[in-house]
Amino acid sequence: MRHTKLALAVLTAAVLTACGGGTSPKGGDQTTAIKFSNQVSFGDSLSDVGTYRVGAVAAAGGGKFTINGDSTAKNEDLNGKIWLDFMAAQLKLPTPCAAQTGLQGNAALGFSVPVTNNANCFNYAQGGSRVTNPIGPGNAATGSPIGEMTVPMATQIANHLAKVNGKFTGTELVTVLSGGNDVLMQLAAVTQAGTAAGAQAFAQLLATRLAAGATNPQAAAQAIGQAIAIENARVGKTDQSVVTAAVTAAAQQPGNQAVAQQSVWGPIVAGAQTEGAAAGNAAAVTYASTNATRMVTELGTAGAQMAALVRNELVAKGAKYVVVANLPDVASTPAAKSRPAAIQTLVAAMVNAFNSQLKAGLGADDARIMYTDLYSVSNDQVKNPGPYGLTNTSAPACAPNALGTTSLICTANNTVAGDVSRYMFADEIHPTPFENDLIARYVLKDMAVKGWL
Amino acid sequence: MNVRFNSMIKVLGVAAALAFASNASAQSAGQITAKFGLNQLTPKVESGDISAPALPGTKADVDRDMQPVLILAYGITDNISTEVALGTPYKHKILGAGAIAGTGVLGTVEALPPTVFLQYRFFQPSAAFRPFVGIGATYAYFMKERGSGKMTAITNPGSSVPTTFSIDNKFTYTAQVGVAMNLSEKWFADVTVNKSRLRTDVSFSTGQTQFMKLDPVAVVVAVGYKF
Repeated sequence: MRHTKLALAVLTAAVLTACGGGTSPKGGDQTTAIKFSNQVSFGDSLSDVGTYRVGAVAAAGGGKFTINGDSTAKNEDLNGKIWLDFMAAQLKLPTPCAAQTGLQGNAALGFSVPVTNNANCFNYAQGGSRVTNPIGPGNAATGSPIGEMTVPMATQIANHLAKVNGKFTGTELVTVLSGGNDVLMQLAAVTQAGTAAGAQAFAQLLATRLAAGATNPQAAAQAIGQAIAIENARVGKTDQSVVTAAVTAAAQQPGNQAVAQQSVWGPIVAGAQTEGAAAGNAAAVTYASTNATRMVTELGTAGAQMAALVRNELVAKGAKYVVVANLPDVASTPAAKSRPAAIQTLVAAMVNAFNSQLKAGLGADDARIMYTDLYSVSNDQVKNPGPYGLTNTSAPACAPNALGTTSLICTANNTVAGDVSRYMFADEIHPTPFENDLIARYVLKDMAVKGWL
Repeated sequence: MNVRFNSMIKVLGVAAALAFASNASAQSAGQITAKFGLNQLTPKVESGDISAPALPGTKADVDRDMQPVLILAYGITDNISTEVALGTPYKHKILGAGAIAGTGVLGTVEALPPTVFLQYRFFQPSAAFRPFVGIGATYAYFMKERGSGKMTAITNPGSSVPTTFSIDNKFTYTAQVGVAMNLSEKWFADVTVNKSRLRTDVSFSTGQTQFMKLDPVAVVVAVGYKF
């Protein structure tokens, strides 16, 4: 009996102690298994935290390839952050900043700003960058007025190694994500082939049909064709100005005055545009199928090159925690979805080649390398948006702006109408801050499994 | 929540006091027994998915815990008895499962499942072995829910506010089977298996929710004394 009483007292005391300790929910231990010293990132626009936030881009409130700026007062998901911002904050590391800033574009438009290297910033990722090729989308060499530096990943890594005497300390969290611009440059070639063929077909159809009522249709067509060519070559021409030049020239041809009436030229122009566009699409598809093998092979090579960089320039030089993100599903982006099915298939094949070679090149599981499958999660998000909280996975959140459709200068003030906070895409290819949040969760989940969290 | 918990302690205290106040002398009607043992509480988890925004199929698992228990019983008749248990809270680890399997411990929670049983004991009070069955009313009380950096990372990465969660307390029922072995006139040992129906909801500070079917099985091995 005495023993029992003692036990009862002990147990009751234990219960009361447990009660007195504070029973309400708390956040618990927020520290990580591995204490990283800083976050070092290499890659493209998906990892760029503000390389081009200078000049007119900064003035427009832009700088990242997402919905820019802190608009959390409007909506908590419009925080202007990318996945590396979320990651660094979660890991209690300094907010990532661009290792290099500047622009090499059109000075008159505010896109020429001296290139500056920031010694204390370790995010080398730049919009437009490719794995090894120095010319990516947005580079002045492509004819872009923005003039992005597009320093490739290989050079980014070399620049970092030069800064740290050729050696990682082994406490950095290193992230690499690239390949998207290698796909986009191939797509740009496809587009160019289609645009050129489409414009040519349009000019031919337009000249022939506008000349049909002339006394000498053949001579008239030649004259109209010449007028179109002259206008096409003029800086500042528009589709409308080309049409006006063609109609003006057509009406001057003997016996052809009637064509000056809009009721006559209007349908002719519309028909030529439709048929010209169809011819352009057909030419693009032909170009794509003719060059498919080469394009897919080149992407495979880029994937293998990225794997080699990870092994030889990161891990072999002392990096112990390298997050290798594979290329997300470019074929599911609005940029690809707007293309004919044959080209979407080609994009999917290019992405697959890149990722296969990247994975193969990394070799057997390595405690220092964490391969995170952004392809699968992005592919699933488009097909199955509900659980992710995504409200739209097909349309860009950003409305067209002064630079076209790029999100580089998109802010919460120039999105399309309605609540876009949980859209997947900011523009045709880049994720919104909310999608970046989801990417961060996914990468952190993988880090937890790897034992790094 | 504190208020409810404190009242529960009082109820148990009163039950214990009443039990000790009586003065029975044989394992039969009017008799009191007290047994001391170990209870292993194993949730049989079927987790729902954490609601959006989350990786589809984000589930949780809850591991088992063992704690000492003091169980008091009162014989209403020779064959019918009632029983209550006193004990320390069960501390359970919550682990990532499903799409986030392998992430490890995401949180911890302490649980107290006070239960009042009505039991039927077979055979005579003096039999060497007395199997018994019971049915009980259980109040599943959850407290001290603690998150982790990992939980914050997969629900609200980079937030300055760590993610917290709370688990709804539930009234439910528990079925019991067991067998007691008389070691001497006063001493006995028994083994009991309790199975509760327990379905509850987890609410996260991020606004997400998760349904959890816990349906715990408790296995108690105890040595007791008859007063």
